[in-house]
Amino acid sequence: MGMARKKALSRRDFLATSATAAAGLMIPKGVFAQGSDRLKVGLIGCGGRGSGAATDIAAADKGAILWSMGDLFQDRLDGSRNWLKEQLKDRYQVPNDRAFVGFDAYKHVVATDVDVVILTAPPGFRPDHLRASVEAGKQVFMEKPIATDAPGARSVLESSEMASKKRLNIVAGTQRRHDPAYRECIQRIRDGQMGEITACYAYWNQGGLWMNPRKPEWTDLEWQLRNWLYFTWISGDIIVEQHIHNIDVCLWAMGKNPVKAVSLAGRQVRTDPAYGHVYDHFATEFEFDNGVKLISMCRQIDNTAARVSEQIVGSKGVSNANSWIRGDKPWRWDGERPNPYVEEHKNLVAAIRGGKYINEGKTVAETTLVAMMGRTAGYTGKEVTWDQMMSSEQRLVPEALEFGPMPVAQVAMPGITQFR
Amino acid sequence: MNVPRIAWTVIALIAGAAACASPQKARQPFEEKIPGSLVSFKMVPLPDGEITVAGAKHAVKNLWMGATEATWDLFDIFAFKLDLPEAERQNADTRARPTKPYGAPDRGFGHAGYPAIGVTYDAARIFCQWLSFKTGRKYRLPTEAEWEYAARAGEKTAPASLAEVAWFWDNADDSTHPVGTRKPNAWGLFDMLGNVGEWCSGPNRARLLCGGAFLDKAKDVHFGARKVQTDAWNQTDPQIPKSKWWLTDAPFAGFRVVCEG
Repeated sequence: MGMARKKALSRRDFLATSATAAAGLMIPKGVFAQGSDRLKVGLIGCGGRGSGAATDIAAADKGAILWSMGDLFQDRLDGSRNWLKEQLKDRYQVPNDRAFVGFDAYKHVVATDVDVVILTAPPGFRPDHLRASVEAGKQVFMEKPIATDAPGARSVLESSEMASKKRLNIVAGTQRRHDPAYRECIQRIRDGQMGEITACYAYWNQGGLWMNPRKPEWTDLEWQLRNWLYFTWISGDIIVEQHIHNIDVCLWAMGKNPVKAVSLAGRQVRTDPAYGHVYDHFATEFEFDNGVKLISMCRQIDNTAARVSEQIVGSKGVSNANSWIRGDKPWRWDGERPNPYVEEHKNLVAAIRGGKYINEGKTVAETTLVAMMGRTAGYTGKEVTWDQMMSSEQRLVPEALEFGPMPVAQVAMPGITQFR
Repeated sequence: MNVPRIAWTVIALIAGAAACASPQKARQPFEEKIPGSLVSFKMVPLPDGEITVAGAKHAVKNLWMGATEATWDLFDIFAFKLDLPEAERQNADTRARPTKPYGAPDRGFGHAGYPAIGVTYDAARIFCQWLSFKTGRKYRLPTEAEWEYAARAGEKTAPASLAEVAWFWDNADDSTHPVGTRKPNAWGLFDMLGNVGEWCSGPNRARLLCGGAFLDKAKDVHFGARKVQTDAWNQTDPQIPKSKWWLTDAPFAGFRVVCEG
């Protein structure tokens, strides 16, 4: 297939593309007969999570074939290719001319004839990657969070709307929403099994994560990207990058977003410059329009009390949001717990293959904005409202990126740091 | 989680019919202290004797066993190098130590006094090597036969009231409990059944988690209960490769130590 033709096709809907491929078959739902036809997968962002997601979609659907890959760094791409070749065997079909490196790698991946893309580059890149994918008519799995600043999150809201018009499915990596135990429990809570919700609690308190010591040959930008967790413009900071999961569960149970937040937060122990400028703890109070509060804590400090969970308190009971409800009408989950990282791909593939349309873009974008609202409240020490967050023009991700000097942002100081 | 247990049921039946030798003169329990820490734990002597498991006769001689499952208090010293001066903890260690855990290894169930959970067989095994190095005694994981011998404590039948001796589905409230808070068996060993499964070495290098755990139904909490690790036990570990030390999805996997006399 020549370049011009490939490009023309990439701008069209996936269904139309596939129909063409299927020799003029005009019934879109027939394109992917259940579990039979191939589903070409493009992987954008080949780190640990991305490589894992490629095996997850392969486990979810026997027709899924890894077709194209892209990453910012050659060594990451090569490492991932070698590993996935071993894992996926004949379902790894990524020749050199469908493997791309650099800031533009994602553009090349979406320009191939892949049907679905997995967007697992660091979060700061997600808005651009999603937009390009939807414009090219691709089905999407994207990891959380979906942006690191409000302009990025608004871009994702727009792209999700565009996807909705094109009937392109989007599943987000907030995998608790694909765990059958969480699903049943939250449904019961929303159906009122423990009365009205009066409070929510969310926790992701754990020790520190990995860090790659700087090598002399790395530019500022390369050093930051290889340690992306520790720079807010790339990761969103720990409340957005990691704790988003638990906040998301509470918003799911509440069925709405909070209207404001205050937060006590800082960088207390992990102060070495090797860890960039992000905080190591946030304790945040989110408030909903009906006065209900969500208390949220996240911490990454070694050898401290760890807790990763949620708790929903109702007027007639209490629940851990996934396996039990205690109170007037007690309930316990007594079924299997299939791997939610695979379940999310099963649900995506089922939708692609003609099942119920699914688009989680708006939900995950809003949850990301809520987490950003908590982060901003922590950084500034001020109360931050949803409206302020939604209309924020503060851009953290640079307009254009190239390898070279890049100063580290100041560590935010509550009471001094300004929010725009 | 649900692994085939048919083979182990057979073992249980055979073992149920096996006679454990009568206890000899009792040796004394002792308190083991970890040098460089304030943590200690109790070791109790097992009477010498023998047991038949899976048709094979096993002698148990000169062995002490932890009165309780290994706790976080104990495992943290190993995992976070708390036995070393603070300035030395960042340095590379000549002895293997666990990598940083992903998420909350204790699941928020509780920490001080609670059994260490979500640890791999190798983590438990290497912990025993470290413990031997620290104390100068020979610690290791029990064999499956030693474990069952100790769990039965001379009994041929299941406990009259499982709820009195074990934390399991009916009474555990979906959580582990502090060690030693149910009744001990005849030899002074707590929580041999329930609370957490306990890593043991089996025949042909098998790695067996014995005794059932807090989230198991009563039918799966008995002297012959065995689990072997499956992919489900670390399915949500997002790291590549998955941790060799921690099991993100096995909050039921713990251990206890034995010491050779």
